[in-house]
Amino acid sequence: MKSIELIRNFLNARQGIEPAKIVPEALLADLGVDSLMMLELIFEFEDKFDLKLPEDLKSPQTVGEMVTLMDGLIASQKS
Amino acid sequence: MNPRRVAITGLGLVSPYGGDLTDFFVRLAAGESAVRHLLTDDRPRPLSIPFVDCPAFDPDAALGKPLASMMDRFAQLGMAAAFAAWDDAGLPRAAGGESRDDWGVSWGTALGGTLAYEKGYRDLWQKGRDRLSPLTVVLGMNNAANAHISIQLGLGGVSMSHTVACASSAIAIGEAFRRVRSGEAPVMLTGGSDAPQAYGVARAWEALRVMAPADADSAASACRPFAADRRGLVLGEGGAALVLEDWDRAVARGARIHGEIVGYGTNCDHSHLVRPETAGQVRALHATLADAGLAAGDIDYINAHGTATAEGDPVEIAALKSVFGERATRLPVSATKSMHGHLLGAAGAIEAIATVLALREQAIPPTAQLNPDNLDPACSGIDHVFSSRHGVPLRAALSNSFAFGGSNAVLAFRAVAQ
Repeated sequence: MKSIELIRNFLNARQGIEPAKIVPEALLADLGVDSLMMLELIFEFEDKFDLKLPEDLKSPQTVGEMVTLMDGLIASQKS
Repeated sequence: MNPRRVAITGLGLVSPYGGDLTDFFVRLAAGESAVRHLLTDDRPRPLSIPFVDCPAFDPDAALGKPLASMMDRFAQLGMAAAFAAWDDAGLPRAAGGESRDDWGVSWGTALGGTLAYEKGYRDLWQKGRDRLSPLTVVLGMNNAANAHISIQLGLGGVSMSHTVACASSAIAIGEAFRRVRSGEAPVMLTGGSDAPQAYGVARAWEALRVMAPADADSAASACRPFAADRRGLVLGEGGAALVLEDWDRAVARGARIHGEIVGYGTNCDHSHLVRPETAGQVRALHATLADAGLAAGDIDYINAHGTATAEGDPVEIAALKSVFGERATRLPVSATKSMHGHLLGAAGAIEAIATVLALREQAIPPTAQLNPDNLDPACSGIDHVFSSRHGVPLRAALSNSFAFGGSNAVLAFRAVAQ
């Protein structure tokens, strides 16, 4: 599973948001992602990919930034 | 400020019978037990207990998935009951033009989000996981229900939870009543919710040897308050809510007034953790009557605490006989826990609703499973309601809650012409 899919599945299950609306330029705040839900999303990501995001993570603002962050971590883990 | 009269303009609950408020009272008045047998798949030993659950309650449907997923079951039950009471009061969920900055919530729960923590233990100890969902704290905290209610209904005044074992929501209602009566809050949403089917909780009650045993066949009649063959209490889950409103405000907006809450007394036996004491209950009953400006002769019905434990029931009857004297033999008393079970932190609230509906409908629900032949002589001396009574003139009624820890709370209600 790619990270964009994980984000889409998560927001669809939690917020009932159409996957088509979860595009890179969408603001996470507009999709209803507050600080608490961000923690959940990170938790879900770490669980699925068996990875750990850094504690001093700067919160991404858009779906695209979140994807970049997650994909970068997945790639660095593989190398 | 002069004391305000306090109208009850909204009633709402998650009914163990699955229907609405009207259906709840019809079944209660018919003496229909909602007790079923609960058998879990826990290993190595499942729970096998009589229990009152709410199988028809679908949190996602009632609250919407985004909201429901932010809550433990106790908060889901509470939020659903609060919405129902709010809608029943004819109040819009969104504030609109009016300020709700001094409207508040006073909620009762004995266990709070215990199920969230129990899931944590299962995940960590049974499933070998190394961490918990980041939502666990906000699911588990005891004030989760009242916090969600304040947010959903835009209530900017006090938002508090009361944890006083079996008297939690009676005290929550009493404290809400005082705030409306004093003029501090024009509207208070109050009540309680609990989900006592947590494995550790149910096992703990079993260990105390106060829980009635039952299998699938005997569950419905497992809870027998005041009966000689009573075996103990039956736990139940649920949520029940009331909207208390400044009387003049309620009248001005043309709200339906189900009844009036007129008195509240609370105190402590200060003698023993679990053995109730007549003297403390007598003081609580007198305090409530005095607070309400009622005489013993004005009371036409008492919804008893009546849990069906060996020790508790005779103590309560002795307290009633002490307060009501020679009139006690003509004082109708029933324990509706025989049907809806013991909802712990929601018990006072569901029983307050039963009491208000009794006054409104001028009908008394019975103590199910009780009849003249199985009545414990130690519990005699009052007018036990063996079968439902309809068309009886009821002017005022009390609802008793006598908790572990020795905390007593009694609420007084007055009928309002419908």
